[in-house]
Formats: sequence, structure tokens, C-alpha cells
Amino acid sequence: MLERITFDRSLYLPEAVEAAAEAYAGHAQIELVAGADAVVATIRDVREHDPQLVAHAFCNHVLHETIARQRQTALDEAV
Amino acid sequence: MAVQEGTQESRLGFTQGTDHISFDIDETVYPLEALYGASYLFLDKCFVFLSRPSPQAVSVRLTLRDAGSPAELDRLAGEFANELLSQVARLRLTQATARIREYYTAAALRAAASAPSVDDLLAELEAEELLEDPLEIMVPWEEKHGAKTDDPATK
Repeated sequence: MLERITFDRSLYLPEAVEAAAEAYAGHAQIELVAGADAVVATIRDVREHDPQLVAHAFCNHVLHETIARQRQTALDEAV
Repeated sequence: MAVQEGTQESRLGFTQGTDHISFDIDETVYPLEALYGASYLFLDKCFVFLSRPSPQAVSVRLTLRDAGSPAELDRLAGEFANELLSQVARLRLTQATARIREYYTAAALRAAASAPSVDDLLAELEAEELLEDPLEIMVPWEEKHGAKTDDPATK
């Protein structure tokens, strides 16, 4: 089963998508294609777990990474 | 709000599927920082996915971690919407009071920088004690009362 997820650049940081893909490398094969407006992640060969569950968890991870990185950037700029 | 195929409209007017609920947010009303704040708090409750249907709008999709009823989805979205409002209020308050907080921090730092240290105060105290001798303890007896005589009458 193949899941294709589009992460809009105005909402998600591309480096956050990359970090999440690296974190999930042990669970599935995740291919990233960076475009001008979005980063598209293709999830295939999901091991052990339900593919949809892995896709949802991956999206949460990307959002978490994005928020954490943006907060850190704001903090660094303030100091 | 247009309802997609395989979905229904929730009690709160959101688009509801079997395990998810979604709604669009106007970014001019709810800034992205507020949306991130609310999303962050919901990451451990459900799966959150954001997308951009149009330039000023953000679509939020909340998916239950386990099977749940339509009422649960509706409650989840309602709680998210309330949290979003709370985040907006907090953000506006932070922005409105930014200058006064900066002023108080600067004033506190200035006061801390100009205040003498404990060592300085002790040194000052010691110097005062050594220099002043109001009881003339340091003055010799002879100098104070005159020289001692051997006259027996004075004994």
C-alpha cells in the first residue's frame, strides 16, 4: 500500500519533514520530493504496523518537528 | 460549508468522516502561531494534519487514534476550536504587553547592576569601624589623662 502526503511549505518546514522521514526509516520506506510550494512524502513498504497508522503518526511527527523548530528559532532570535 | 462525499456535517457544522473531522480556519482571524499552539496540545490526543486549501485558509483534519463515535469527534473538534480561541487571546495579550514586560525587565536588570555586592558592603563597614574611634580607645592613657606622678599624697 502506498500513501502520498503533501506538506505545504507555508505550514510545514521542509527540514522537519526530512527529520521525520529519518525517524521513521525503520518503519517504512519514505521518499521525499521537494517542490516549490510543498514537500511530497511517499510512504511504502510499511513494516509491522498498519500503513494508515504509520502515515498518521508520521504527519504528527512532522507537525511536532515543525512547531518545535519554529519555537526554537523564535527563542534564538529573541536572545 | 460544502460537505464532501462519504462525510456528513457535524453538530458544530464541521465536516465529519468515520474516524476524522475537518474544518477550515481563516488565517486572518486565527494566526498561524495560535494554530500551532492548539495543534501542539492535541498531538497526544489525536492525529493532526494541516493543509492549505486557499491562500488565507488552513484546513485542519483531526483523526481519532482509536475508533470513536461521531459525538466524540464533534467534542474533539469543539475542544480544538476553544483551545484555538484561547491561544489567539494569549497571543494578543502577549503582543499587547510586550513593551511593558521589556520595560520591567530592563528596570530590574538596571537595579541589579547598580546595587552594591555583599563584599562591597562588608568592606565599607570595616573601613568605617577602623577609622572612627568615638570612645578614644586608640588614644594612650598618658595622652588622655596626663603623665603618672610618684607623689604619695596623690595615692
